[in-house]
Amino acid sequence: MGPDGAPGPAVPWQKVLWERQPFPDNYVDERFLEELRRNEGIRQYHYWAVVKEAGFVGQQLSCVAIFITLWLYMEQGLLSPEMLLSTSLACALLGYGLHQALMSQFESDCEPRTHLADLQSASIFLSFTFGFSPVLKTLTESVSTDTVYAMSAVMLLAHLVSFPYAQPSPPGSLSLNAALFASVCLASRLPGALHTFAMLSCALLVFALWPCLLQKLRENAPKHFTGVCVGVCLGGVVGLGSQSPGGAVLLALALGSVTLLCPLLLVRLQRHKDNIHGPWDEAEIHEDLSRLRH
Amino acid sequence: MVMKIFFPQCCNLADSGLLVGRWISGHDSAVVLAVIHYPFIPGQVKEYIQQMKTQSGVELSVLGSWSLPKDGQEGMDSFLKDLSTIFPQERWLQIRRQIGKTGFTCEILSQDQKRKAAQQEAKKKKEEGNKTSDGEAGHEEEEEEKVIFVHYEQRKVMLSQLHPIENGDPDPATGEPSELRQMFQTVACSQPLFFLDKYDDGPLKSTHWQSQGREASIIVELLKQSSTPLCLLITWLLSIWTWICNMRFFSLYPLRFLSSKLSTCVQLSYRTEHMRTLSSPKTAVGHMHFMRKASIFVSFLVDVALGMLLMSWLYRDNHITMLANTLVPAADHVAKNLEELLQWLMGAPAGLKMNRALDQVLGRFFLYHIHLWISYIHLMSPFIEGILWYGGLSACFGLTFALSLLSDMVALFTFHIYCFYVYGARLYCLKIYGLSSLWRLFRGKKWNVLRQRVDSCSYDLDQLFIGTLLFTILLFLLPTTALYYLVFTLLRLVVVLFQGILHLSVDFINSFPLFAVGLRIFRPYRLAEGVKFRVLSQEPGTALHLMMEMNPLKVSTVVQTYRTPTYSCYPKDSWVALMKKLFVGELIYPWRHKSTKTD
Repeated sequence: MGPDGAPGPAVPWQKVLWERQPFPDNYVDERFLEELRRNEGIRQYHYWAVVKEAGFVGQQLSCVAIFITLWLYMEQGLLSPEMLLSTSLACALLGYGLHQALMSQFESDCEPRTHLADLQSASIFLSFTFGFSPVLKTLTESVSTDTVYAMSAVMLLAHLVSFPYAQPSPPGSLSLNAALFASVCLASRLPGALHTFAMLSCALLVFALWPCLLQKLRENAPKHFTGVCVGVCLGGVVGLGSQSPGGAVLLALALGSVTLLCPLLLVRLQRHKDNIHGPWDEAEIHEDLSRLRH
Repeated sequence: MVMKIFFPQCCNLADSGLLVGRWISGHDSAVVLAVIHYPFIPGQVKEYIQQMKTQSGVELSVLGSWSLPKDGQEGMDSFLKDLSTIFPQERWLQIRRQIGKTGFTCEILSQDQKRKAAQQEAKKKKEEGNKTSDGEAGHEEEEEEKVIFVHYEQRKVMLSQLHPIENGDPDPATGEPSELRQMFQTVACSQPLFFLDKYDDGPLKSTHWQSQGREASIIVELLKQSSTPLCLLITWLLSIWTWICNMRFFSLYPLRFLSSKLSTCVQLSYRTEHMRTLSSPKTAVGHMHFMRKASIFVSFLVDVALGMLLMSWLYRDNHITMLANTLVPAADHVAKNLEELLQWLMGAPAGLKMNRALDQVLGRFFLYHIHLWISYIHLMSPFIEGILWYGGLSACFGLTFALSLLSDMVALFTFHIYCFYVYGARLYCLKIYGLSSLWRLFRGKKWNVLRQRVDSCSYDLDQLFIGTLLFTILLFLLPTTALYYLVFTLLRLVVVLFQGILHLSVDFINSFPLFAVGLRIFRPYRLAEGVKFRVLSQEPGTALHLMMEMNPLKVSTVVQTYRTPTYSCYPKDSWVALMKKLFVGELIYPWRHKSTKTD
């Protein structure tokens, strides 16, 4: 029935405006809602699949934690820069080998980078970092430590927020730049130039190269990917636990909520999803109409 | 229809005669220029008017008759009426004045009305007999024409220049000049008519403003005579000077660049151009040209007089030596203060956190510069007195030269400040541009030159890495550079301000229309903006009599109109543009810009 309660005449109502009908303009009959459809094309999420995807977020959080742990060790002198450098070098070589293996195992369409280009990039990184490390060392000398910490914290948060989790290779400009800025700030607080160099190489490894390798792993060996994520998360919690137990608890809670609680919430809340579609035209204002007035 | 008759005041009491003047075409008005007295021979009058017409280029004609009856001149009226047949005109004015009455009476006879003249005559005789107000009214009714007498002072109108009204200027090229303008032109052009005075033995006698004797000054005549050889001499000297200036040696690049930056050289070329304008043997054509020449001449005289005053002060009581003796200690003092400032900047100025390493490097660099400059000053100190002595001589060319020289000397003495400023600004500019482009890289954007906009761009890993490294370094070093830049910019601004004031005063002396302002003050009627009318007598029944007086031009308009075009030394940029320039670290200069010459 229409809103005006027009008496049902013999003529059936038609949803057209070009014919004169004995109904008021705003009249609709009961067939109107027959074409209503709900939640069209919805994807039903499964809890463990979502957890697996959320593992990437969790491991990135842990990566930041691991980096901070390393920095804490360096600052207190518990970890020598040579040690960190050699470990980083070993990890880099290992990762590079794995990357190559994954690349060759699953031929991709795009043209792969040559070894020479990789070597060139690596030499650019190392030479620039090494050359600038004395400058970076004195850069934040006159800036107060609290300011440096605050800046680093904000930048690391920006890194986590703007990280392109769906497509982490190549890493997004803003997230990588924010992470590098934070690591330069933190590295400039370390006691020596070599420390700075080691810390920056480490940052490059953690923030720039590791997501690329992990993405390859996710694409080509999904089973190992889950294991690696769990390992990184555990490593992050344990590493931070050795320096500050409180921080470790917080990190564990954060990881738990991100990887377990949030997917649960997502799956639960999906039941309440109610998206309606129908043959009506929705009023959409595409642009500013105020200029049409004149 | 109202007819206006512009009547010269000097002819108010003239003897009876013929009115000579001009009908203003397009308007219903007539300008009376002179009265030719009886007795005359009509042929001679016609010849005289023809002669005047060719000399002045004004459409002169006999307008009508003028009668001021004196004792023993009765029965003139009929004679006057007959004159209209001797001088055939479209319209014939008959202006009459009675002794003891202020107003005039006027009759207008048209060509076609002349036939009826006989009838009217009878009527008019009756009216005159009555001498009542309704007589005139009846006359009006019949003629359907009212007459307004506008009295003017012939001398003032002849000499004055009518300026267009500021807001709505009637374009002389398109529109017909207004009635008033035509009237002014007529009076100004008919100067030859006014040369006939009462001492002439010619067959004609006339009355106008100069009829009591011609106005002239012996001094002016003598100056006119002497100006020609003087102009020739100056032209010859100028040609020699131009030849020297055009020599190949002076057009070499460094010299030309230097001379365009030294304000003394600019002033010299400016003055040369002035003298060239002054000494040109042609007489001034238009009013504006004449005023410009006069203005330049008076400015030049005043300038030289002021320069002489300055010289007389400088070379008395050893003022030069005193100046030279205070200059070196003053420079030392400035250097000492600068050193202190640098030491302060190298510490923690105002509690600011600066990068210590860069701070030290910059501070030492600038300290070394000050050391260099002080050595240079001490090397120069024996010659300073001589330089001042010879530089002071330039004041005999005028105060502007002395000021320009002072400006150049200030520029040379503060060269170190300029150097500091340039270093600071270049460094700062580099940082600002680097930071702005690296900030785009930081956000994963780049500047698209072709489309003039910021586009997103995917960078390589190594580009991002190096970019961020440089961005961090530049960001943390920016405050140090910015502080040095700020301090030296302030110092530079003080110098620029001083030089700017000097340039402004030089420009003021060069371009201020002293002659026009003097005219405005001492002869206000010479520069008229318009006229105002005062009612002389408004008796019912007689024609309205108005007195026309000049409205002098406003002083501000005088200055604006007659300002000599000059190299503008005002800052080219607006204040906002200047601030923006300072912010991004572009260099600022107090130099005059030749390109903005207004003409």
